[in-house]
Amino acid sequence: MTNSIAELEEADVLLITGSNTTTTHPQIGRNILKAVDHGAKLLVIDPRRTDIARQAHIHLALRPGTDIALINAMMRIILDENLADDLFISMRTENFIQLRDFLHRLDLKELAKITEIDLETIRKAACIYARSSKSVICYCLGVTQHTCGTDNVQAVANLAMLTGNVEKKHSGVDPLRGQNNVQGACDMAALPAVLPGYQSLEDPTVRARFQSVWQRELPRKTGRSLTEMTHAGKDGPIKAMFIMGENPALSDPHLNRVEETLINLDFLAVSDIFLTETAQFANVVFPAASFAEKGGTITNSERRVQLCRRAIPPIHNCRPDSEIIMELGHRMGCPGMDFNSDAEIMEEISLLAPIYGGMHYDRLAENHGLQWPCPDRHHPGTEFLHKYYFARGKGQFTITRHQEPSEKATKKFPFTLVTGRGSYHHYHTATMTRNSIRLVREYPQAKLEIHKDDCEKLNIGDGEMVELHSKRGTVQICAQVTDRVKPGTVFSSFHFFEVPINQLTVDVMDPKSKCPEFKVCAVAIKKVHHD
Amino acid sequence: MIDLKELILPKDNLIPLLRKLNKDARLVIPVKNDHGDTLFTEISDLDTTEIDLINQPQASLKPFFLPQQETLAHYSINSNQYCFTAPDAAIDTIFFGVRSCDLTALLYMDLIFSKPSKDATYYDRRNHSLIITLGCNNPFENCFCEATNSGPYLEYGYGLQFIDLGDRYYVSAGRGRGADLLERWSYFFHEVGEEDHKVRYQLFLEARGQFSRNIQLTHACQKLQKETVPDEIWQSLAERCYDCGGCAYVCPTCTCFSVDDKPQSSNTGIRVRSWDACTSDGFTRMAGGHNPVTRDRQALKRRFLHKLKYDFASHGKASCTGCGRCVDICFGGVDITTFIELFTRQQNP
Amino acid sequence: MQDILTICNYCGCGCGVYLSVTHNHVVGSYPSRNHPISRGNLCSKGWHLHEFVHSNKRLTDPLLRKNGVLEKVSWDEALDTTSKALMTAKEKTGPDSIGVLSSAKCTNEENYLLQKLTRIGLGTNNIDHCARL
Repeated sequence: MTNSIAELEEADVLLITGSNTTTTHPQIGRNILKAVDHGAKLLVIDPRRTDIARQAHIHLALRPGTDIALINAMMRIILDENLADDLFISMRTENFIQLRDFLHRLDLKELAKITEIDLETIRKAACIYARSSKSVICYCLGVTQHTCGTDNVQAVANLAMLTGNVEKKHSGVDPLRGQNNVQGACDMAALPAVLPGYQSLEDPTVRARFQSVWQRELPRKTGRSLTEMTHAGKDGPIKAMFIMGENPALSDPHLNRVEETLINLDFLAVSDIFLTETAQFANVVFPAASFAEKGGTITNSERRVQLCRRAIPPIHNCRPDSEIIMELGHRMGCPGMDFNSDAEIMEEISLLAPIYGGMHYDRLAENHGLQWPCPDRHHPGTEFLHKYYFARGKGQFTITRHQEPSEKATKKFPFTLVTGRGSYHHYHTATMTRNSIRLVREYPQAKLEIHKDDCEKLNIGDGEMVELHSKRGTVQICAQVTDRVKPGTVFSSFHFFEVPINQLTVDVMDPKSKCPEFKVCAVAIKKVHHD
Repeated sequence: MIDLKELILPKDNLIPLLRKLNKDARLVIPVKNDHGDTLFTEISDLDTTEIDLINQPQASLKPFFLPQQETLAHYSINSNQYCFTAPDAAIDTIFFGVRSCDLTALLYMDLIFSKPSKDATYYDRRNHSLIITLGCNNPFENCFCEATNSGPYLEYGYGLQFIDLGDRYYVSAGRGRGADLLERWSYFFHEVGEEDHKVRYQLFLEARGQFSRNIQLTHACQKLQKETVPDEIWQSLAERCYDCGGCAYVCPTCTCFSVDDKPQSSNTGIRVRSWDACTSDGFTRMAGGHNPVTRDRQALKRRFLHKLKYDFASHGKASCTGCGRCVDICFGGVDITTFIELFTRQQNP
Repeated sequence: MQDILTICNYCGCGCGVYLSVTHNHVVGSYPSRNHPISRGNLCSKGWHLHEFVHSNKRLTDPLLRKNGVLEKVSWDEALDTTSKALMTAKEKTGPDSIGVLSSAKCTNEENYLLQKLTRIGLGTNNIDHCARL
């Protein structure tokens, strides 16, 4: 997020896109609703009528995969209505003329038709967003999990820059990060193409710095992304894997392919707290300590680096992952694997990653954490990013064009399946939540949201089992009759191993971000008849 | 209350008195910790602990008497026979700095856990406890105990009640052990003078004038006895209830719990009691899957009606003590005061 | 009873949560009021955060697959087997034949260590985590 969570409460307009915020980020949803209670306008872009969409002043229920068309239409309207921030555009951005010319060639009626939203509704939303100088956009995986995910994000950025709603308190573009430490895992460069602190693998100065601290040569070639590894297949280039605290055998798209890869590895080691679906394929399984049994820091969605404190020693014969990694390091003769504490590891991080330069444990203990960038010991941390200039200098407008999702509903597969985190009571592959008595009681089984009109046509009642097919697989799932989804669209989550919905999803990815297209896949529904 | 003792404790004598009390009992007092939170904490060293009698303790006393999760019994199965072992017995505990609302809530819990038969675990703890309250001279931001008749000062229920008169406390003894304590440690105290009475009364009046919210709680309770709440109100509240259960968990009078048996090995296990919330879906869902309550439209109905309608009908008093803890923490801003405001504004059709 | 402030293990909001501990058992979790994110309340997952910690389904010992079955082994055996297998893969099929998945559930320090080990111990940039899922 470029803003802080607390700032959202003061915004005048909140545009939420591809995020069921009150369910998936309850504390951020809390600020959004507070802002609404103070008089802010809430605009929600989502194909589903989610809880937050119900609270919206305008709900833009677009057809899945048409975000770019919608945002281009909004921008065109903003130009037509003279609501663009000309001063901001000329001072802080580049490439506006090209964008303007492109937008002027677009046909608004055509765009509205693509999105299946009434043009007047789009116009109202665009004007509300553009007229305020305290407009915030929050987006989540509903924007990124498309083959055109990177372009979707660029379109959102274009919209914000066009109206000057960036670089200030109470306005900006905020990606909401999913897992508790997905931000930190990125910051620490558990990524194939960068070094800690998003530093370039190619920059000779950076390389020299890391090599002097790490005492070893760095590999040059950009690594493979997660799905490139898990989809490598039987005779793929990946022969051995080490997986720490992840469950690709349930969370990745096109699961049959993942299974094929994992089964055919020469060696697989998994470290986790439960025997996950992935661990069941492993040659070696390490019993890891849970969050309650170890210290360390994690970084939240607003870039706040926070201290976790150990509540109890590791149970049974478990060990923290840091210990497991260092033990392996020793055995492999890897230097610099002899840290005595998490604080000592953070000292090395602070040395190497400038954005973490001032993250010292004594400071983190005092302040409920610090927000990066925090370059040195005396820096107070950064509440909102891009205060006077973008990271790259001037903000770049890049033209984005609508493209149809990789798979379209057909006669044979007439429904569009959207997947996501469907339940407030479960998390991701539910390895933790399904071991929690109360959460299991609240949401005991996977459900497929189907519109009541579709249910009527297919003669499906609430709670009945249906069979869901795509070109790639079949699952059985319990139907939930609802008006949350539009007719023709169905929704389910991937929390439940009994219903591995990702056996159905497409394995096409955004070519730039490698983000899989979880949000659009063509399926057929059949009622299960019991004899 | 003529027969009960009232005395003055100079503030300088507070720590020496607490030190004496600590000799025979565990002492639990609000403490402001390193993270800026004020929590009821067991005192290990009176001299190094920052006792906080200014801020409202974050949680009520509920977790000490009905913990979030507690083991009711260990069980083992030997040759097809179940064998239960009771948990550790409670220890003598003196709670100091308890606010009026929280004691009132405890008295309500006493009632709940006495029927149909006395809850052994609860009453074991209760019988080993003595509550010393501190009257509120400065009600907190979200408090409305005046509307619930549970503060800012109390007239009964406490072991001892302390009122801060600046450089001294005005201490009133309740029946039983409170009075015994005053007797036993009388040398720390002196007699109440005419001036002390006047100051105490003045402070009481001032405290009552400081409530920032005027909640029509009694009016709502009475109205509920006669009228049904329109469905639209329940629905508008339900739409904004995100099912966190937080209101029930922080509430000092919410006593819903569930009991689960958790196997620990093939022939042993524990019986665990843990907090539950009547606002959640699984609370009323039956084994076959049917649910008499539709969460989408009625999520908060049972909780508010229980507190304001049924308890008012059976005890003449709502089971809300105005502590304000559920106010301002609700994700959707639909706490009990929102309901009262919506409902009392509603005109008779 | 002890209450230890830590950060919730579920979503990216990052609530300040107290874990209540008795006899080395986590028996409760509740929000910090002063913490800038939790502000006195948690979602349902947060209020039940303690429940999975002592689940009887937790892994208790290192496991090694022998004759197709995962069997309990010592830490040394599990660690030795893993480091040997990874070093063999590095030599036989090259560093880029090894893939490492780190975790958005683990700490910064653990992620840092694992990418360091991957880059200079195994000699590959094949490291990623579930940021996009």
